[in-house]
Amino acid sequence: MSLLELARGPLWTGSVAVFALGVAWRLFALWRIGRKPDLSAPRAAGTAGAAVRTVFTRMLPRPGFRPSATLVTVNPYIYHLGLALIAFGYLPHIEFLRRVAGVSWPALPNAVMYLAAGATIVSLCIALLFRLTDPVLKLISTAGDYFAWVVTMLPLVTGMALIAEPAGGGGDAVRLALHLLSLELLLAWFPFGKLMHAILFVPGRAQIGAFLGRRGVRA
Amino acid sequence: MIDYDVFRQFGEAITHLGEMARKVEMPDAERVARAKAVMLAKIDRPMAVDLESCVKCGYCSEACHFHVQTGDPKYTPTRKLDLLRRVYGREVSLLRYVRRLFEREITAGELREWQELVYDSCTECGRCSYACPMGINIARGVNVMREALAAAGLVPDELLAVEQEQDARGSVFGVGARELQGALDKLRASGLDVPLDKPKADVLVLTTVIDILLFQDALIATVKIMNRLGLDWTFRSGGFESANFGLLSGVEDLQRKATRNIIEEAIAIGAKTVIVPECGHSYPALRWDGAAMAGKPLPFEVLAVSEFIGREVQAGRLKLKSAGARKLTYHDACKLGRHGGILDEPRAALRALDVDFRESSPSGEMNWCCGGGAGVFLLNRAAGLRQKAFELKAQQIDATGAESVVMSCGSCRLNFMNGQAQSNWPVKVESLVELVGANLADSL
Repeated sequence: MSLLELARGPLWTGSVAVFALGVAWRLFALWRIGRKPDLSAPRAAGTAGAAVRTVFTRMLPRPGFRPSATLVTVNPYIYHLGLALIAFGYLPHIEFLRRVAGVSWPALPNAVMYLAAGATIVSLCIALLFRLTDPVLKLISTAGDYFAWVVTMLPLVTGMALIAEPAGGGGDAVRLALHLLSLELLLAWFPFGKLMHAILFVPGRAQIGAFLGRRGVRA
Repeated sequence: MIDYDVFRQFGEAITHLGEMARKVEMPDAERVARAKAVMLAKIDRPMAVDLESCVKCGYCSEACHFHVQTGDPKYTPTRKLDLLRRVYGREVSLLRYVRRLFEREITAGELREWQELVYDSCTECGRCSYACPMGINIARGVNVMREALAAAGLVPDELLAVEQEQDARGSVFGVGARELQGALDKLRASGLDVPLDKPKADVLVLTTVIDILLFQDALIATVKIMNRLGLDWTFRSGGFESANFGLLSGVEDLQRKATRNIIEEAIAIGAKTVIVPECGHSYPALRWDGAAMAGKPLPFEVLAVSEFIGREVQAGRLKLKSAGARKLTYHDACKLGRHGGILDEPRAALRALDVDFRESSPSGEMNWCCGGGAGVFLLNRAAGLRQKAFELKAQQIDATGAESVVMSCGSCRLNFMNGQAQSNWPVKVESLVELVGANLADSL
């Protein structure tokens, strides 16, 4: 079995299984901890609405804080949006998803994708630079934060190495295998580190929204 | 009028407060075991989600007055949960068996280090939770850390002294039922009708040691307002003190005892409403934590006095006269505003006074904390840090151009007065209740 066959076959299946089961297991582990009911009388109605609203409103920077450097505020938007565009807008990725999951949608132009990939890589480098130099980020960062950065960056770098490859296959099998392997590493690590925030942001924001909403405060 | 001699005496008393504490000695291993036991008992689902969610973005540091004013990264709010995070990671989390290989056990030395982080440099104001893109309730985690440190015998001496007094004698700063009686007798001598220990009443009004000793005008104003509204109300000598040093120090047994004392008095007289005085932490202690302390929903409504006054004004039952074209701004105490939702009511009262009201920026739930809440005002070693935080607050008030800042929290007021005394800050510091009490319309 070649490296590419391995990456496309058992390793792909395994990484997807680890991802799906790991996420489900981690969420179940959180859910089973339980909580006591809040016996205090709510001060305002609409707790559920506040919870849902907060999931979305926390996507925007909140007015009222000391303005940070613009780059610090803008940079995370660049790499979050860039990653989403590349993952779900690039034709080869959509083709891949169509093959393995049977779903597809129109792709974005390649030029947009290359721009997004370039911007995302630069943006992630800037994020790493901040983490290594800012006194607060340096102090609070752990090995897990740096590892998450590495597993996020690897699919981008290995993917950029495939840009010159012919569309529809027939290119360098090793390069393609490395790209798949890097994605599989990301998927397999996702449930166990900080990348899980891509899912935990929903319950996290919802619970602070509910907590403050029942007190009548805009979360 | 505030008697500044009493204020100075109070400040002097605080400098010696720690000397009265009975130190809690125990081996380091026991400190760690006790702290961990509390942390593990307090980790529920919301807290677990919080502890797993931090992406280490550092935004919370921008929201914290202690970090903003010092630039010291150790005050970054999310870092204050690191010990809790480690205990969770090693003992509760999904990967606990793996994480034990990489993450150290917490130590007594770290617990001592964390004393400054969760007592001196955190007022549990909750502003950081608003900056957090993941919505982590850091203030709640800090409160659990206080409980863990309390179990480990590591409450700062000043808070420990008052907590021990309230637990042993039921009094705070030496003020018990007899001192309340004395203060109310003085009010009666001035011609006020002050109900005390009525066997039945619709409204139980609480007060606090600070109002009895120092802010007596707030006490007088409260009496005037209650009488003007013609309500069936009373103070109760068996349950008048709203301050809860169990909550502030992190000793849940005392928090429960002090809260239940009030609840039992309210139930005994058949109160439909309990009014909490201008004391920031007293409001969450009863309003939000009271039912948990009682183990069942409270059979009465709990209102902060500023909330009560605002509602009476909004309903047209309390008429106020103009306080003149004075330039006023309002400082939202964190426990009332950001974590209590009491934002509109005090402003309704101020607008009814027909003053030149100026909103600060930021305001409401984003208001800057004064730096003295959650017992920080009492900690002598935190004086420098507290003053730095207050300077930020003063800048915010100065930007409004107001000649007077009104608030409805005795702790904030003490901290403002202290900051004012240290920096000759020219803005007048006022109580909402006093201002309203002094400007009641001649007729209803």
